[in-house]
Amino acid sequence: MQKNILELEQKSRWVRRQVLEMISSAGKGHIGGAFSCADILVALYYGGILRFDSTNKESPGRDRFILSKGHSAASLYAVLADLGYFALSELENYQKETSILRGHPDRKIPGIEADTGSLGHGLGIGAGIALGAKMDAKDFITCVLLGDGECCEGSVWEAAMFAGHHKLNNLVAIVDRNGICVTDFLKDCLDLEPLDKKWVSCGWDVVVIDGHSHQELLSVCKQFHNKLGKRPLVVIANTVKGKGVSFMEGNLDWHHSVPRGEDLERAKKELEL
Amino acid sequence: MKALNKDIRDAFFDQLYSIAQQDKNVIFLTADMGAFSLAKFKKDLPSQFINMAVAEQNMVSIAAGLSLVDKNVFIYSIIPFTTLRCYEQIKIDICAMNLGVSIIGIGAGLSYASDGPTHHGTSDIALMRLLPEITILNPSNAVTAQACAQIAYKSTSPVYIRLEKGVLPLIDRQKEKDFSSGIFKVREGSDLTIISGGIMLQEAVKVADELKSHSIKAAVLDLYRIKPLNIELLLNLIDKSKIVVTLEENIIQGGIGTVISEVLAEARGDVFLKRIAIPDQHCFETGSREYMRSLYGLDVDSVVSTILDVFSQ
Repeated sequence: MQKNILELEQKSRWVRRQVLEMISSAGKGHIGGAFSCADILVALYYGGILRFDSTNKESPGRDRFILSKGHSAASLYAVLADLGYFALSELENYQKETSILRGHPDRKIPGIEADTGSLGHGLGIGAGIALGAKMDAKDFITCVLLGDGECCEGSVWEAAMFAGHHKLNNLVAIVDRNGICVTDFLKDCLDLEPLDKKWVSCGWDVVVIDGHSHQELLSVCKQFHNKLGKRPLVVIANTVKGKGVSFMEGNLDWHHSVPRGEDLERAKKELEL
Repeated sequence: MKALNKDIRDAFFDQLYSIAQQDKNVIFLTADMGAFSLAKFKKDLPSQFINMAVAEQNMVSIAAGLSLVDKNVFIYSIIPFTTLRCYEQIKIDICAMNLGVSIIGIGAGLSYASDGPTHHGTSDIALMRLLPEITILNPSNAVTAQACAQIAYKSTSPVYIRLEKGVLPLIDRQKEKDFSSGIFKVREGSDLTIISGGIMLQEAVKVADELKSHSIKAAVLDLYRIKPLNIELLLNLIDKSKIVVTLEENIIQGGIGTVISEVLAEARGDVFLKRIAIPDQHCFETGSREYMRSLYGLDVDSVVSTILDVFSQ
């Protein structure tokens, strides 16, 4: 299962291409954030980080992954379909009538661990799972992917303080730090900096990496299971919203716009497989 | 079920303590809220008791996470803080995922009368009944409170229990065996039916007693499970009553009166319904619970007078 860096990069490109097809076909979806976290998801699921078995979805020992930034579901759906949680053909039905794939993920979808979409819920749920695992001396990890815009929600910090206080070293948070929320740059509406110090002050270990470098992603994610730390770990993954399609990158227009016409053709070309 | 004459909170928490002693998967989370009978839970079962501090939203999410790894979780705070403050977490993390988490709210109605509107539990029924998966329990005394702890423990879907404070009259419940019906007729009467619950049940009984002196025979129903409503039993118990009165310490929108009105509008167009409740307002008046009730026409004399007016029309 574990792939080398080149294969991971190719898989990321494939995921982005699926997302482009899904969103343009559905005429809706959150493309910018789905692109910014694609490499993170690929590293977790294909880089030998998360322990899972798509043929035994409820295996008690599986690692739990929660997409707290639920609006980026399209990328996760592409990954889960590719890994056999449901048919690849289901991606074509994304958000369409009778599809199992809604705009935001829920537990009715195979491979999804928690209902998300309203921001600021996933870290608390993940911390609860991690606490329960510690109570029962289970050795799986819980990994929660947050958006940086999501970190404006107070409930994120309630959960962060709780996890720090209870020293949940079996909990990992990854922040998709693309710097953009729905309509604005975060630095212009609610500057989160110093973001790393905020997590440290809540009792977390912090690593800051390039969230598009599989090399860096793998080197930090491989620590998840080693239990070296005594505290929960947050990975601040610096990313680019819309990553992979040049005219979307870092552009405020592409939170949930749908590429059409020339834009779509250009995006397809840039994500040619 | 053995009769108990103790504080309704103690009845609930003592039962929960016994359950938790037997089942290590029972986890109790409190948003920094205590109760006399919780002290021994905290002392004797420390690995099953967590003070979440004043962070209700996180308490709900943590409860959901624990439930996802098969813990039987109870969460606890004052009603506005364990319902309204964390409502979206309850909606998504617990109800949409249909997890067996039990939400305990203390301070139903005007329990915290003089503390002001921030602490009043007068709109929680309206809020919580919007959640499709939830069961809403409204115990009226120690016996029903004890039964509610068992019901919540056994439930695999969300439960909300709105607790009173204090020792409430037991009112004969010996005929009721398993508390699965959700409604119990505590007084027989053929002229009208008063539907109430929680602390107001005892007031409803006093009203029924008082009405006897006016030659009016009033039945009294204890609606201790507000959702899912046992509609069939409700209609059977209302029977031939042409007048139904709801009596509650909640604001008039969305409470017991609204619940009953929905049923009667569809099934009993011949019944006249009078809803007696707190008017549509935040209660900035202050004083004892009894004093506040008197301001809103919820004291026994006012309720009797209102019912006599209905009869005279």
